[in-house]
Amino acid sequence: MKTQLAMLVDSAKCIDCKACMLSCKVANAVPEGAWRNWIKPGSVQGRLHFQPGGCMHCENPTCVQACPTGATYKDPADGTVKIDRSLCIGCGNCIPACPYGARYRHPELKVADKCDFCAGRRAQGLQPACVDTCPTKARVFGDIADPGSEAGRLYRENQGRLVRVANARTDTKPNMFYLAATAPLDWPVEARMPSAMGLMAGATPLLRGLVGLTGLGVLAMLGRQLASGSTPDAEERKEDAHVD
Amino acid sequence: MSTRTLTRHNRWDIFIHWFNAVLWLFLTATGLALIDNPEVNPLGQWWPGLWRGIFGGGGNLLVAHEAAGVAWVLGFALYLAANRRGAGFFLREVFQVSPSRDIPWLLKKPVQMTLGEAGLRRLGLDPILPPQGFYNMGQKAFAQAAVAGGVGLALSGAAMMASHLVPGPGAHALVSWAILAHYLCAALVFAGLLVHVYMAAVAREERPGLFSMFTGTVPEDYARHHHRLWFEEVAGGEARRN
Repeated sequence: MKTQLAMLVDSAKCIDCKACMLSCKVANAVPEGAWRNWIKPGSVQGRLHFQPGGCMHCENPTCVQACPTGATYKDPADGTVKIDRSLCIGCGNCIPACPYGARYRHPELKVADKCDFCAGRRAQGLQPACVDTCPTKARVFGDIADPGSEAGRLYRENQGRLVRVANARTDTKPNMFYLAATAPLDWPVEARMPSAMGLMAGATPLLRGLVGLTGLGVLAMLGRQLASGSTPDAEERKEDAHVD
Repeated sequence: MSTRTLTRHNRWDIFIHWFNAVLWLFLTATGLALIDNPEVNPLGQWWPGLWRGIFGGGGNLLVAHEAAGVAWVLGFALYLAANRRGAGFFLREVFQVSPSRDIPWLLKKPVQMTLGEAGLRRLGLDPILPPQGFYNMGQKAFAQAAVAGGVGLALSGAAMMASHLVPGPGAHALVSWAILAHYLCAALVFAGLLVHVYMAAVAREERPGLFSMFTGTVPEDYARHHHRLWFEEVAGGEARRN
């Protein structure tokens, strides 16, 4: 198994203090009105339960499929879903394409934004802000392919009990694993491809056909020019004949 | 036969033609390379890969495309400011269509170019093409597509670059639709461009037309044969007297 950074969440430990949401906002300068992560309330066996979440860095990311420029991509090196801000043109196609509502459009930078597992902090050898700040240590982050890591150990030891919260119609295979029972489960929506993107995909073979047919027309003209013995003078004489 | 020449394009026309040609090709190449998604990628992954390699990443490529797009619009603004009368003449000639003359011309010309006059006769058509004005209907059709497509490309490009001025979720809906419009306009003009380049640079009979895009003039014979109505307008009276 290749490197896959992931989060394992023991949601039973979450006390809904929202420290993860605040520390994320501060660490990543998330603009007013937007959040990169969340805590959703639910109920397990009749008891109040809280479920922390964020971008799930899916195995099968529908946001990547919706991006026209490749600005959003799954990095094969660490398995995270990244946004290249310099290449993002802010079309927002990825926003409804995410079943988790993990993305928003940054109002000043006019690019899509979401959790990147605190890439900046990780480069300095720190844990993601939400993981670091959680008082009950409900979130565990790491490479699930590395058996030596805490995340890898939890991932291995809890096989069969790990829960992936996903919409049945668009199961994106999220890399956010909940240990044993979690709630709520029914909130992810079906991924939606924006109409403009769908039309663009539908138009592509038609446009390829249009340009291809035009090219064939040009080739037919070229073929005649190469094959015919007629000189330009002969052509001109014919046109002459009618005008005079 | 006379070897006199007639003036067809002024310096501004020649400037804008080659300016547009260079930037249009660059913008088409880089624009196509900005599409990197198997669902909507007309040429395949190698094209964006190649251009992103040349520019050192997709971000740089986007900057280059946007800069060239702004330069393209500014070039046209300069042309319009400096050559208002020439631009007005061009637009009038291009959008003035005479259906009785131009539709038969447009239907017959492709047959003549591919199957020849024998082909026209075999289809039961008169092999003689109706006389044409300053532009023939093929040139007019391409120019119409280029003007409409160019305006569409400039507007949709501006919408993408200035989307931060639009508040709320309208901004990304605007960009999403602008991408589609940009894509369709570029494809429309590109299809016409193939024919335009063939007719001008490869087809033998239009060769003087290509040269006129450097010199600004065409030989009188060429004008008489290819743009009869224009020829009669500018030199016809004189020619008949001779």
